[in-house]
Amino acid sequence: MSAPVSETATAALQEPDAPIEAPQGGRTPWWANQRIGLLILVVALSALFGVLRPAFFNQQLVVFPLLRDIAMFTVVGLAQLCVLSIGHMNLAVGRMAAFSMMITGISYDLWHFSLYAGLLVGLVAGAAIGALAGWVIARTGVNSFVVTLALDFLLLGLIPLVYTALTDNAAFVTKPPGMRELRNYSLGDVCIGNLCGSPAVPQLTLFAVIAMAVVGWIYSRTKLGRELLMTGTSVKAAELSGIPTARRVITAHAMSGCLAALAGFMLAVSTGSIKATIGEEFMLPSFLGPILGGTLLAGGFISVWGTLLGAALSSVIRKGLDLLGVGLESLNIYLGLILLVALSTDRIRTVLSDRQGVRKR
Amino acid sequence: MTLFLADKVDKLFPGVRALDGVTLKLEAGSVHALLGENGAGKSTLIKVITGLYKPDGGRLVLDGSEVQFGSPHESASAGIGVVHQERNLIPGFTVGENILLQKLPTSRGLVDRSAIRTEAARWLAELDLDLDPDQPVTELSVAQAQLVEIAKALSVESRVLLLDEPTASITPNEAERLFRVVAKLKNDGRAVLFVSHKLEEVFQICDTVTVLRDGASVLESGPLGDLTRDQVVDLMVGRVHEALALPPRTVPAADPLLELSGVGTATGHADVDLSVRPGEIVGLYGLVGAGRSELAKALLGLDRITAGEVRVRGQAVRIRNVRDALRNHKIGYVTENRKEEGVFLEQSVSRNIAVTVWDRLRKALGYVPAKAEAAMVAEYVEQLGIRIASPAQLAGTLSGGNQQKVSLAKWLAAKTEILIIDEPTVGIDVRTKDAFHTLIWDLAANGLAILLITSDLPEMITLADRVVVMRDHRVQGEVLNDHDYDTMSQRVIRLIHAEGTTAA
Repeated sequence: MSAPVSETATAALQEPDAPIEAPQGGRTPWWANQRIGLLILVVALSALFGVLRPAFFNQQLVVFPLLRDIAMFTVVGLAQLCVLSIGHMNLAVGRMAAFSMMITGISYDLWHFSLYAGLLVGLVAGAAIGALAGWVIARTGVNSFVVTLALDFLLLGLIPLVYTALTDNAAFVTKPPGMRELRNYSLGDVCIGNLCGSPAVPQLTLFAVIAMAVVGWIYSRTKLGRELLMTGTSVKAAELSGIPTARRVITAHAMSGCLAALAGFMLAVSTGSIKATIGEEFMLPSFLGPILGGTLLAGGFISVWGTLLGAALSSVIRKGLDLLGVGLESLNIYLGLILLVALSTDRIRTVLSDRQGVRKR
Repeated sequence: MTLFLADKVDKLFPGVRALDGVTLKLEAGSVHALLGENGAGKSTLIKVITGLYKPDGGRLVLDGSEVQFGSPHESASAGIGVVHQERNLIPGFTVGENILLQKLPTSRGLVDRSAIRTEAARWLAELDLDLDPDQPVTELSVAQAQLVEIAKALSVESRVLLLDEPTASITPNEAERLFRVVAKLKNDGRAVLFVSHKLEEVFQICDTVTVLRDGASVLESGPLGDLTRDQVVDLMVGRVHEALALPPRTVPAADPLLELSGVGTATGHADVDLSVRPGEIVGLYGLVGAGRSELAKALLGLDRITAGEVRVRGQAVRIRNVRDALRNHKIGYVTENRKEEGVFLEQSVSRNIAVTVWDRLRKALGYVPAKAEAAMVAEYVEQLGIRIASPAQLAGTLSGGNQQKVSLAKWLAAKTEILIIDEPTVGIDVRTKDAFHTLIWDLAANGLAILLITSDLPEMITLADRVVVMRDHRVQGEVLNDHDYDTMSQRVIRLIHAEGTTAA
């Protein structure tokens, strides 16, 4: 390579006696790694619930639906993660899922699309509505919080109108072939020769695995992912380094909408109905997974594994408390407390490691 | 009388002894200089004194009694005021509110606005500052903001004042004003600690000096009067420092790569004519606020150009943004605002350097091969002598000099042909500064067209072939550089203050 730095300049720039500026303390100790802490917590809590209620390990009644929940909330978390990566938020994540599923429902009901063609239409619709949000944000410079909040209200009004106009019972009743099977099939139904998967793992989890792989690949291996993270770290520096930040904002929101649509589809399949209320419960959990997993609210750093672990932690807690017979209201109180403790210990860990001069991450 | 003493202070970070038995003594009614190269431990020492770090050894003595600070708040309450290198004013607040932020006067639980006004006015008067306490701080110039920060530091009734590179981004005139304030503080019997890379200033205003090198004090509280500038530099770098000798360089006769004629911008420039040929360093000099960085930003499409013509390689162009400048015109811009615009502090060194070349490295689907990226990064880390443990290290953990190398590296990696360099050596130590000068000189010798914006006149005179002087968003004139400091500084300063616009 022919860099314009000549040997004279290089020689002048070398400062052999200058200290190497290592981050003080070098490697982050393992206990300061958020993901490992989460993993231990998930395993320990599962074991605890299993000891208290052996039914916690019942494959069909507990593990199967639990894994389905974890898979869905992981995808919901990834939808939020995409906008968090550029330091934005998507408060309309649930409503985007509802909007996309409405389009999917229409494609099944009116156009008689197949299961996967309908999914594809939904994903495109999700990406489009996300891109719209991103475009408004990039164009106006209004905070993403405000824009997606406004979009959320807009869709909240619009979606039921469409359902009322097109359906009798506020749900699309036409189910394409394969939808019911997808809901109940497990990896036990997937065999290579005599080797079959576990009957406790729903096939729906494959969607989450694919989503994780794609998102993980984008952020760790591609130019797009790197540019999104750079934009999240500093929009100014990104713009001044030649990154098309406005376009990246639109891309991030489109990815978010697309993943929201996928989560909506997973919910529609597992509940067996396509209705206006899909995604209502998505918004708060969408932040839980990524943030418990170490994704920065301020942008610039994401963790796909962390998002899975964060989603797993909240789902395990919910399911475990449910099995222990904790009522719905008190369940939420406990959930809130446990999450608060989890986030605080994380903060304490960060402070401790900072005090030792160790950098986070 | 010794007002403050840091006695044999140690600070250990895992694997690194950041401070090694450092002793610092501040006398009442005296200005003490703290000198050292980047990474010598100056900032760590200030953080220990203000309670941000807990010392691992030694003791802090304030007014004869030993003290321990658990937080910056505690040290402020004890009477240690500090003005950090970074601006710490809150943008939405007024001058008065910012000054009194640490103890806002209240009446019945509500903020007492009239008390703020009178109280803040008192501190402003103390510093002979003609500012309105009700003015929003966003309207202040950098230098004014600096002085307001000093007022803020004093408002906690501090008797010890730590100034960390207060003159890094202000002009000589503004610095003079700051020095008058420092002199007044000294006469009032306060102890002032002054950290600066500009030795001229240190000799001008300081009485005593402590020099740090590699975390240890190599000179403790020596009187400055006994030392020469060269001796101080030698103490700092630990070896004999030679004045920079650059090889001769001639500008080849060629058509300009970058040419501006009659350019006017939305930020108020008018009739700006400028040209830079390949292999040439054109200096753009002027006081802060003369519109030099704004001109650079307009050139890059960040502000609108409203009149005139910009030609790149002879073609009239309209540059839309930095991406356009980089990809289609091979123009790079090294910003003056290193921490906010130049470097992604929370990202790795590797990504900081590679950010401009992903376009070139990417394969199908935008895949960037890690190996090619790492090789490219390693090349520039090596060539620019960036001292890092690993390319995965966050850029924010580096010293200013190394960050600046990173900020420059991405434009070299992008193989730009026209480079606009804005204040390249602000806050950078003597030795690294020389290295940068050699590098910039050398880039020009290799055929790059360089537009150099700097407020550092010696730097300008060392490097530039021609100096274009700006004032109030207009070109005042142009001086051919003879590299002689005395004649050049006079001609440039005369141009700045000349009436009208005539070429020299």
